[in-house]
Parts: sequence; C-alpha cells; structure tokens
Amino acid sequence: MAGLELSTLPQQLVNGILLGSIYALIALGYTMVYGVLKLINFAHGEVFMIGAYAALFASWGLGYTPNNAMSGSNPINLLIMLLASMTLCGLLGVLIERFAYRPMRNQPRIASLITAIGVSLLLQYGGQLFLPSSPAPNIDAKVNPYQDNITIPLRPVDGTLVTAAKQLEAKQLETKAAFDAYLTRTKESPFQLSVAGQPLKKAAQDAERDLRTAEGKAEASGLSIRLPKGQMIMLVTTVVLMALLNFLVMHTKPGRAMRAASHDFDAASLMGINVNSTITFTFLIGSALAGAGAMMNATFLSGTKIDTFFGMLPGVKAFVAAVLGGIGNIPGAVLGGILMGLAETLVVWAGYDSYRDAIAFIVLIIVLLFKPGGLLGSNKVEKV
Amino acid sequence: MKFWLGRTGSILLAFALCAGIQLLADQQSDFVQRLIVLAGLYVTLAVSLNLINGITGQFSMGHAAFYQIGAYTAGFIAMKFYAGAKLPPELWMILSLLTGAAVASLAGLVVGLPSLRLKGDYLAIVTLGFGEIIRIIVQNQPAIGGAYGLSVAPRFEMIWLVWLLAILCIAVCRNLLKTAHGLQFLAVREDEVASSAMGVNVTRTKVTAFLLGSAFAGAAGALLAHFEGFVSPKMFTMDVSFIIVTMVVLGGTGSITGATLAAIGLFFLPEKMRDLPNFPLGNLVATGIGIIIMVVGFRHIAASFHGKIVERVMRYLAILTLAVVVALVLGPIVSKVPTLGVPVEGAKLRMVVFAVTLIVLMLLRPQGIFAHHEFSWDWLRKVLRLDGAKKVPA
Amino acid sequence: MNRSLFSAALLATVLGITAVGCTGGGETGKEKTGDPAPTAPAGGTTAVRPEPTGEGVKAEGDTIKIGIVGSLSGDQKPWGEDSIEGGKMAVEEFNAAGGVDGKKVELLVGDSASKAEQAKSAAEKLISEGVIGIVGEVASGHTIQIAKSAFQKAIPVVAIGATKTTLADEGTNVTRVCYTDDFQGPVMAKFAFDELGLRKVGVMTDNQQPYSQGLSKSFSDTFKKLGGEIVGEAFYESGQTQFNGQITELSAKKPDGLFLSGYFTEVGPIAQQVRQAGMKDVKLLGGDGWDSPQLLVSGGDAIIGSYFCNHYNNREDRPEVKQFLEVWKKAHGGKEPGTTMAALGYDATKLMLDGLKRAASLDSKALIAAINETENFPGVSGKITLKGANGNPKKRALVVEVRSEKDGFQVFQKAYEADEVK
Repeated sequence: MAGLELSTLPQQLVNGILLGSIYALIALGYTMVYGVLKLINFAHGEVFMIGAYAALFASWGLGYTPNNAMSGSNPINLLIMLLASMTLCGLLGVLIERFAYRPMRNQPRIASLITAIGVSLLLQYGGQLFLPSSPAPNIDAKVNPYQDNITIPLRPVDGTLVTAAKQLEAKQLETKAAFDAYLTRTKESPFQLSVAGQPLKKAAQDAERDLRTAEGKAEASGLSIRLPKGQMIMLVTTVVLMALLNFLVMHTKPGRAMRAASHDFDAASLMGINVNSTITFTFLIGSALAGAGAMMNATFLSGTKIDTFFGMLPGVKAFVAAVLGGIGNIPGAVLGGILMGLAETLVVWAGYDSYRDAIAFIVLIIVLLFKPGGLLGSNKVEKV
Repeated sequence: MKFWLGRTGSILLAFALCAGIQLLADQQSDFVQRLIVLAGLYVTLAVSLNLINGITGQFSMGHAAFYQIGAYTAGFIAMKFYAGAKLPPELWMILSLLTGAAVASLAGLVVGLPSLRLKGDYLAIVTLGFGEIIRIIVQNQPAIGGAYGLSVAPRFEMIWLVWLLAILCIAVCRNLLKTAHGLQFLAVREDEVASSAMGVNVTRTKVTAFLLGSAFAGAAGALLAHFEGFVSPKMFTMDVSFIIVTMVVLGGTGSITGATLAAIGLFFLPEKMRDLPNFPLGNLVATGIGIIIMVVGFRHIAASFHGKIVERVMRYLAILTLAVVVALVLGPIVSKVPTLGVPVEGAKLRMVVFAVTLIVLMLLRPQGIFAHHEFSWDWLRKVLRLDGAKKVPA
Repeated sequence: MNRSLFSAALLATVLGITAVGCTGGGETGKEKTGDPAPTAPAGGTTAVRPEPTGEGVKAEGDTIKIGIVGSLSGDQKPWGEDSIEGGKMAVEEFNAAGGVDGKKVELLVGDSASKAEQAKSAAEKLISEGVIGIVGEVASGHTIQIAKSAFQKAIPVVAIGATKTTLADEGTNVTRVCYTDDFQGPVMAKFAFDELGLRKVGVMTDNQQPYSQGLSKSFSDTFKKLGGEIVGEAFYESGQTQFNGQITELSAKKPDGLFLSGYFTEVGPIAQQVRQAGMKDVKLLGGDGWDSPQLLVSGGDAIIGSYFCNHYNNREDRPEVKQFLEVWKKAHGGKEPGTTMAALGYDATKLMLDGLKRAASLDSKALIAAINETENFPGVSGKITLKGANGNPKKRALVVEVRSEKDGFQVFQKAYEADEVK
C-alpha cells in the first residue's frame, strides 16, 4: 500500500462529507420510521432507487433523452426533477406503509421485517419488468447547469513556477500549430505519419509534455480544494432539508405527534393522537427525503448509472449510518451519515480501495462496542 | 429398552432415508442433483439459524458468513492437504466437514459476543455487517482466489451426506429442546431478565446457540464447496442471509419443522419457476388485482368471521374464486391497453413471484406457516387416533 | 468474565481480521492473479495445457447440439445479445448450406446474466442437454467457469471475447477467436508512449474482473519497459457509481493519461467524474471492454477523444466484414451491430461449425482436435489460426478513437499486428 498522501487529505475530507450527506438523507428516513414503528424499513433503499428513476424520467421529459441535442440547462429543470423525485417517493412510501406494513402492526416485528424484504425484492425485480435497466441509463450531465468547480485555495501556488510554466506556453502553441498545419496539408493520420511528419509530431508532443509538467508542478506547489458546484448545491440542499425537518419535528403539531409516538406508541394514542396519520406522515417525509437524496446523487455525481438494484448498497450503508448515530435519533442519523461518508472516503485515501464497503460495518461494530445504543442513542443496558 | 429401540430405529431410518435419496438422485440429471443437494444444504442452514433466531431469540442476519467460512475452510484445506493426505473420499469429507464446522463455530463465538450487549435490531445489523466484512475480506485475498473464487479440487457428489447432515441438525435441535438445557434457550428468548433471575446463565446460553448454529452452517458450507467444486464471495452475499432468515420466519420462528419445510419450499419455488411462459403485462396487472382481492378478503374473513369451520372454508373458497375470475376476465381486457400488451419474459417473473409470495404469506399468516407447532410422532399418533384416547364429544 | 474484557476481545478480533486482510495473503512468490487451477501451472501462453480427462460427448439424434452462452440481462447484455445473435447467424448459414453429414445444428442458448455463477450453471445446463461444444463467453471471468465445467466432460469451448491471457491454459479444449490481454495491454502501452507521447499514466482497475486486472498488469509492465512511469493504481468494483476518492488520489499524481482497464459500464461515469475533477487534458485509454454504444451515453462529452483497443472495425475494407454487415443489417432492420462481439460471436460459432465439418467423428473429443487444427480461418475479425497456437490465435488489434454517434463512434486510428508488440 502506498504511503499516505497528505496533500489530498483536505479534498478527500470534502469528498467524504459530500458522500455522507447523501447517506444522511437516506438515514433520516430509516431513523424516523424506526423511531415511531420500531421497524427496519428494508424497502427504503428501493424507494431511493425509484427516486432516481423519477429524476431520470423527469429529465427525459425535459428533453435530456439519451443522445439528445440540448445545450445547457437552467435551475428550474433541477427543481422540477427534485420535486418529481420527492413527490413520487413520498407517495410510494405512504403506499408501502398502508398496504404492507399497517396490516403487520400487531404482529411480531420479525414478520414485518420479512414483509419489508418482500417489498424490497418486489420493487427490485418488478422494476426489472417495467424500468429501463440493462443497460443501466444515467441522467445526462448536461441537465446540470452548474458544471464547473469552485476552487478554494488553502495555500497559494509558487509564483515563480507559474511564470516558468507560462513561458512554455508559447513554444507549445507554436509546435502544435506547425504539426496541425502539416496534417492539414498532407491529410495524413497523426498515427500513420510518413518520415517527414514525425519530427514535427515529436516536437509538438515534447512541448506539450513540458508545459503540462510545469503546470502540474506549479499546481502542486499550492494546495486547494475543489468543490464541484453541483455537489455544493447538493450539500446546501441537504442542510436546508434537515433544517426544515428539524423545524417540522420540533415546532409543529404533526412533529410533536411523531415525537410522542416514537417515545411511547400506546400512550400517544391514548392521548388522542391519530397514530395512523402520524405514521403515514412519517413515511411521507422520510421517503421524500430519500427521493431528494436519490435525485441529487444521480444528477450531481455525473454518470451515475441507475438500475433497479441501485438502492441496495446505499440503503444498507444508510441504515448502518442510522444505527451508528443511534437509531430513532434524528441528529444521530445525520451524524452517522456524515461519518459513514468520511470513513468510506478516507479508506480510499489510505489506499485500501477494496475495503470501501466493509469499512461501514467495521466502524459500526467498533462504535457499538463502546456505545451499544449508537453515538447519540441511549445506553440503557438492563441490569438485574 | 423401548428407549433404545426408538433411538436405533430412528438412526437406521435416517440412514435409510439418505440412502434412498442418494439412489433416487443418481437417476436424475446433474441439474436436478444439484437442486437436491442445495435444498438439503438450505434445510441445514435454516434449521441452524432457527436455533439462534427462533429458539434463542437472537436476531442474527449474517448466517451466510458461517456458511462462507465453512466453505472456504474446506476449499483451503483441500487445496493444501488433499493431494498429500491420500485419504479415501468419505473420510476426507468427514474431516472437511468437521474442520469447516470448527472454524465456523469459532466465528460464531466472535459474532455471539456482541449479542450479550446488543439487543434486537442492533444485533441484526451487526451480524449483517459481520457477514459483509467476511465476504469482502475473502474477496481481497488472492491466495484463496480473491474476487473470482477458488476451485475446490476433489469434487464429491455425496448427496446422502448432505441430507444426513440436515437430519443430524434437525435431530440435535429437537433433542436439545427436550432437555432441561434446551428449555434455557426458550427462556432466554422469552425474557432475558426473568430467566437470569431464575438462574439461567444467559451468556452461556446465547453463546452456545451461536456456536451450534454456526457450526452446522459451516459444515454445510464445507459440503457446498466440495459439491460445486468452486466457491466465490459472490455466492455468500447478504441476499443469501436474507433468504435463510425468510425461510425461518415463513416456517414459523422457533419451529424446526417449519424451518425445514419452508427451506425446501422456498428453495424450490424459484427453481420451479425458471420455465414460466411469457405473459402480457396486462395479465400480470390483472393477476395483481386478483391477489389483492384475495388477500383483503382472506384477512377480513380471518378477522371477523367466527362461525363453523365448514362455513369459513366456504367463504375462503368464495373469495378465491372471485379473485381468480377477476384476474382471468380482466387480463385480456387490460392487455388491450397499448403499453400493457407487451409480453413479459417468464424468466424475469421468477423473483417477482417469489417476492409476492413472501408478502402474501406474511400478510395472511404472519406467525409463519407452522407458527410454534412442531411435528412429532406423538402428534401423528394423536391425529390418527392411534394412542387409544377416546373421542372427546364436541 | 466481565463485559469490558469481552469488548476488548471482540475489538481485537475484528481488528485482527482486518489487519490480516489488509496485509494480503502472506505467502510470497505464489501466483496471485487468476485462480489457482488444480492442475494447470501458473504462467502465460507457453504453459502446458492439460488434456481433458472426460470421455467426451457424442452427438446423438437427428441434430447436433451446440451451446452458446451470453448475458441476456444485466450490465453485459449488449455483448451477450450481440454475440448470441452472431452465433445464430452462423448456425443459420451453416444449416442452410446443408449442415454436416446430413445433420443440422441446433443452437441452445444459455444465459449468464452478467454473473460468473450463472455462467457456470448455464454451461452445466447446456451440458446436461447434450451439447457437444460450447461457444462463449465474452467475459473472461465467466468463460473460466464455463471452461472448468466443460473440461470435466471433454467438451470444446470456443471463447468469443475473453481476453484473459491464462484462459486457454485451463485445458486443450479451450480456444478463442480473439487476442489476449498479453497483446492488448502492450498495444495500448505502445500507442500511449509512441503515438500519444504520454509518460506518466495512472491506472484504474476493476478489482472484481479478472479481465481488468490482467489487462492493467500487461499495460503497466510494457509501459514501464518503454520508459514510461505508472504514477499510481486505484481500484474499484463493478457496480460502483462514484469514484471521487480514487480520482482525487490519482489526480494528485498529475498524470498525463489514465488507463481504464474495466468495462464500459464503469468507464463512462469514471470519465465524467475525471473531467469534473479538473483533469481536462488527461488522455483516457482502455481496452476492448469499452466497446459498446452505451459508452457514449454514460460517458457523454467526457469520453470523446479517448482511445481504446478493439478487435476489428465496421469500416474495414475486407470482404468478410462487408458481407457480415450486409447479412446482419438485413436481419436487424438496417442497423449495424453495436459492438464487435456480434462479429466475434459469429466467428467463434462459425469456427466451431467448421471444426464439425473437419472432425473425424461427431463427438466432442474429435471436435476439440479439429478446432485445434484450424488454419487461416477467414473470420470477420481477421484470419484465425489455432494450429500450434495453444488456443490463442494471432490477431490484429485496432486502436480506435471515440467520437460522437454522428461522427461514427469508433474511428479507426492505428493497427497493430500480432508480432509488432512484445
């Protein structure tokens, strides 16, 4: 394994937080449902998957079909896609609760679990019948109007190196022009050159190589963080959604009902809270959040392929994140999600690329050893 | 005397059954033989998980890990030692089995430890995680094949051994439950605090459950390795753990009979559906509607009808007929809608039917098919009125 | 025993397992890539290939059954479908010309669903249905499984697009119609060094695919021999969708090129994320795993101007190519095949059928012998000679540039003959 490359650490931390925000959005759904129903909603990962498809179809509707000729986009498109995902997922969540989970409410929890697994499989394999899956489609990068990056310099570059690089620019342009002129004149292919053309090619390549090396050296002398604009939007949106959720849960009546129900289900119903609609509401919000996460994941992490099994791994990881933070605990889900994203990215930074997926569970086991209720959860261990 | 007669009889019966299965299987094609072997392995897996989940109440969701450990252990020792050892196949298989079971039970010990501190769903996710960690670690070891798997050199087609293991597993669990020791497992399941107060060593009970359960799974893994001649991490994903848990729950958590039959049933269900014909999408939609009618109707009857059994059955049949008729009639009609006339490949329906079956079974019979009942010779004699009891007036 | 002791023990065990896992397999000097086959020694194409020990299968009944395996679902569906269609075409032509010994060939199709496990079951199902030869597959990982099953029954396997170098070492019954990674890697290395002038290349390998691992290695070895520098190698898994971590690490090394040895399913997103990471001038290179129209869809603008190595090109001026395209277009509504696997599937099947004609008798063992005697077979993908070739024909490699759909998708740039490299 290669030594730890310190210069990439800041960027990797950023990558980790961005990844973690997606896990956090999904984890919120898990944690809210568990808090109220004590149920592991295995189908949540598939709701995430449907959200991605919703965003995909919305993008198609807006004109960004495969091999399209659109040029550029605007934020309204993104908003439409986001709303499409959130709405469809919210509805789907409510439907699943109503028809698959509500009948099981008085049954042993493990029965609901199996039903959840069944729904999950149904969505995955049923989706294969209806949804475009092989080859897996992806959302056209062009739908994102914010393609470039914001660069935040942490340490300025060495001015002398930059000047040195700039000085090589002229030579590079000159040799390239000469070579291009030759190609246009002789109509030869650059890879099947006659003897006459080869020195020109070599000169052009050498000049370009020198320029790039110099540019690279200059860049490496400084340290900066690159934030893709799209992913910044993702982070901001996540924060906004979480703030909204927090407001909802802490300062509104339905939110209070949710908190009451998660504290003590039966007492809540005795106090006159309509548990059915509270639960429906919980599923609605949780699923909508997953939909938001899916839309942003599929749109801003360009090229992300969408198939019906797309939600399985993120679903499990997000569930681990929820448990990590203390299942049933909303800030815990966010914390867990971010930690999960960081852990995964740092594992790659450290050179253990292939253990990316295992790290989630390893971190979980270590945390649970010391805090069996999760990081922010309760540590109640019954003693006799 | 009667005790030993019964015991020897049972053992002989077991061997005879296995021999019979082997003879029957020899007649079949390789494909069917494989199905018989896998079914037997799944029975062992389900019954061993039932010991942990159903009987001791520990929510373990990573059973595939033990399966994998057993399989890779067998593959590893075969790779290193088989050529040199020159043992007869049967002896090697037993050795392989025992080693796989031993190593897997060590892992079971490791996994069992967190069960002492973690409750319910937390334990579930930790065991699930453990399964994944094992899988990924194995995937990254080129010495045992890495991501593309390990060939297991001597391929043995000992179908009888697979089913013997299954029967052994069932027997061990059954006999365990009949002892005072075994009741401790049930006590821990029902209420840990109370059983601890009653003097049950909860720690030891839980750990024992994990040890036993994982040992059997490991043995099954060893058999798998030698039968397939090949093991790869992709054969031991989360999905496998989920299927085993499903088998246990569907059969009735805690019921050994249930686990056994559910294992066989759930295994063969997708296999039998490999050759489904193609259906137009509209027919599928109509069938879905029919299923919804059936489920809603059945649940309504189960919840609200309290009359005589015969009348109840009549009502069930009525709903069933209604559902079937609706499906058959609506099918062609709905298929007329342009996009819904598209035929869907039968092969793709396999898992969809499986998923729907799971959901429907859970909705209609959440306690599992056998709930907590067990098959026993006594029960059979009672039903057939062979025990001399007089018929009790209704 | 108290609880903290337990916790400590558990923590130690987990960390211990992880540590063992991370430090690798321990044994030195053992063959690491490829799976340890029980009898075949480690090595390249000059290794001794074991003879299958089974009795072989005779063709019984009125038809001769030949099997073909491909992925009809999952990520590799484009290749599976194309190669099977190609195979069907070959069988139709063969039967139309009269078959062999008055018997027609029946083609049985097995679905590997993009998974090695499924490839194995598909092959075994075909074998149980009485095939005396199997054509397949496109992916090396799948073909290895098919080869092992076929070895037991002494059934010939003609691989379509499996390029892993050690594949044919599984047995004398295994042959292929395509080049090997031992050739493909060096071709791209030479192209990168000589033609593109690259000197510092980063490699991204799909850790789950034997194909990608083998190709990365052969590329890296040759590139280093030529004087270039491999600045780093990152790993990912098939199915992964976002690669920021790996890309950040490689980008810090300032490469002027990236060799992406995996399949098009991941290469597309990688390309997009590479560009997004700021590496706008870095040249992207790859192998035949890129070959699919899907590459353009998932790669978008990011992949335009990249280069990869392929088996043949639809624009070639050879009669075999023209004829193949004509028949294909007629059967597929005027469209050309999307990937080269169509032609390779056709070549592989046609070669096996040709072997049937030359075989001493209609059973699998004679077929193996006949296939291994093939000389100058006129394939769409080039001339194929298996005689004395240890299962690996000397084929030509074409480096193509990726252009947009309307510009022709794969535009031929340079050809490399089998003897030019190495």
